[in-house]
Amino acid sequence: MQPELLLAATAALGLAVVFAPPRVPRADLLTWGLLGLAAMAAMAIAPSLDVVILILLVLAVLQARLASKRDFATRLRAPILAVSLMALGVAFERMQGPVVLERLGAVGIVAGLAAAVGLLPWAHEFDPEESVVASPIPWIAFVGPLLAATVISQSRGVVPADAGDAFGAMLIGLGLLNMLWGSVGSWRTEGDAAAWRYSFMADWGLALCGFGLAIADGRAAALIILFSIVLGRFPLYLWSRQAIREKVPTDRPINLVVAAVLAGSAPFAGFPARVLLLRGATQLYWPLALVLAALMLLWLPASLRLGRSMGVPRGRQAVGVAIVLAVNVLLGVFPQPLLTLAGL
Amino acid sequence: MIAAAFLAWLGAAFVVLSDGRRGLALGLVLVTAGLAVLAWPAGMALGAVAVGAGGLVAAGLCWRSGPPAWGIMPAGSTPRTVLCIASGLLGLWVASLVTTGTGAPLRFAVLVVVGLMAARILISRDSGVVLAGLAALALALAVAPGLAAQSPGPVPAIIGALVAAGVMFVAGPPAPGLSRAASPAPADKDAA
Repeated sequence: MQPELLLAATAALGLAVVFAPPRVPRADLLTWGLLGLAAMAAMAIAPSLDVVILILLVLAVLQARLASKRDFATRLRAPILAVSLMALGVAFERMQGPVVLERLGAVGIVAGLAAAVGLLPWAHEFDPEESVVASPIPWIAFVGPLLAATVISQSRGVVPADAGDAFGAMLIGLGLLNMLWGSVGSWRTEGDAAAWRYSFMADWGLALCGFGLAIADGRAAALIILFSIVLGRFPLYLWSRQAIREKVPTDRPINLVVAAVLAGSAPFAGFPARVLLLRGATQLYWPLALVLAALMLLWLPASLRLGRSMGVPRGRQAVGVAIVLAVNVLLGVFPQPLLTLAGL
Repeated sequence: MIAAAFLAWLGAAFVVLSDGRRGLALGLVLVTAGLAVLAWPAGMALGAVAVGAGGLVAAGLCWRSGPPAWGIMPAGSTPRTVLCIASGLLGLWVASLVTTGTGAPLRFAVLVVVGLMAARILISRDSGVVLAGLAALALALAVAPGLAAQSPGPVPAIIGALVAAGVMFVAGPPAPGLSRAASPAPADKDAA
């Protein structure tokens, strides 16, 4: 799954740089994007979870160095919490002792992952005026998907079978929490930029549930959702920043189409992911599918709001939006090639 | 081995209780010595050397940066002292009574150094203190793979040592408000 996500992140960086609005400093975006890609590639080939945690630490320090209104120590807090929780979790898994210790280890790894990505209960501090590169958005939308796939895949070698259930249950629990909080927050929060951030959390909720199901359908759903975050929601968020700043909500057809992409409706990428997730949940425990279906309805009002906040894309941004829509239609109609590529 | 584990805890406690560069550097030296000794019998001989070298470089850089003061246990540090003692007792209980098998000193050292450094970084605002905490945390992460049943090889320890030394070269960013030129203003730049 990691090579595919790395490819998606590379494509997202290309889209972000090529179709960036004229006032965006492209050199900074490219430099930091390439640094992030290098770290992600290192994570993907890391021999153990310990090395992944160390790479995460380095990346956090480098990002915290960037100029921002938030100080160095404040910006390091969430990633350091993540690193510490994951390190303690892995340490507990390696110790011989009662089963409860293994379960605590599983909780530590999942809680650390949530803190690294910036999900509930450790959502990163967010300033809408902060540059994208220095903000928590790269964690949730660019580095996070590959980090999550790597941590979850490496954890299989560390977490014993006894604690595997606790690991999956934690992922599903955090997933449901983020789906609920993210979609309601995205719908009801005051600022549009914060609404976008909440919408990332809601999508992550779906991905965590997919990983937690630990069956092929769940993993496939998680992969498609992560793809749609990196190659859909992330570039659309970047191109909406100008309109958000100018506060020009619009109700053109393109805004409705963008809302449909963000809501995961057919024929876009989110739709097969949701179908796969519901099918996987039904196989495991049908009431979970019922809860998931109910929560998925909450995407609609939030997506309509986010679609309106895009404004009317013009010039190169319009081309970028068209490419993102095309990619999402392609993934929505033909998800199988991607899943085959990932061995799912 | 027990003495090395105690040394690692003492070093971590120095990092938690110090606000001056000399106290932080002393703490880093003690953490380095303790962890390097503990890594050796865990099948990480090369890793132990790397941890020793990385930790000493970090301590040396810490000694040379910031105001020249020890700043150990300044006024108002009682909660931090309680934290150090409590974490030591908790780590001792988990490492020696809750868990079984050989390697209790390494288990104790990893748990207390990771826990104390996380707490130190989370409660601190000073970038020098945060960097010293990061270096000690990286050293603990470097030896943590030694807890595994099979020898992890020297790679994690070498990377951890490099990170520990490398973070000390990182200067904190300019204070907010002093860097208008570096921080793009939303009015005239989209600040991607």
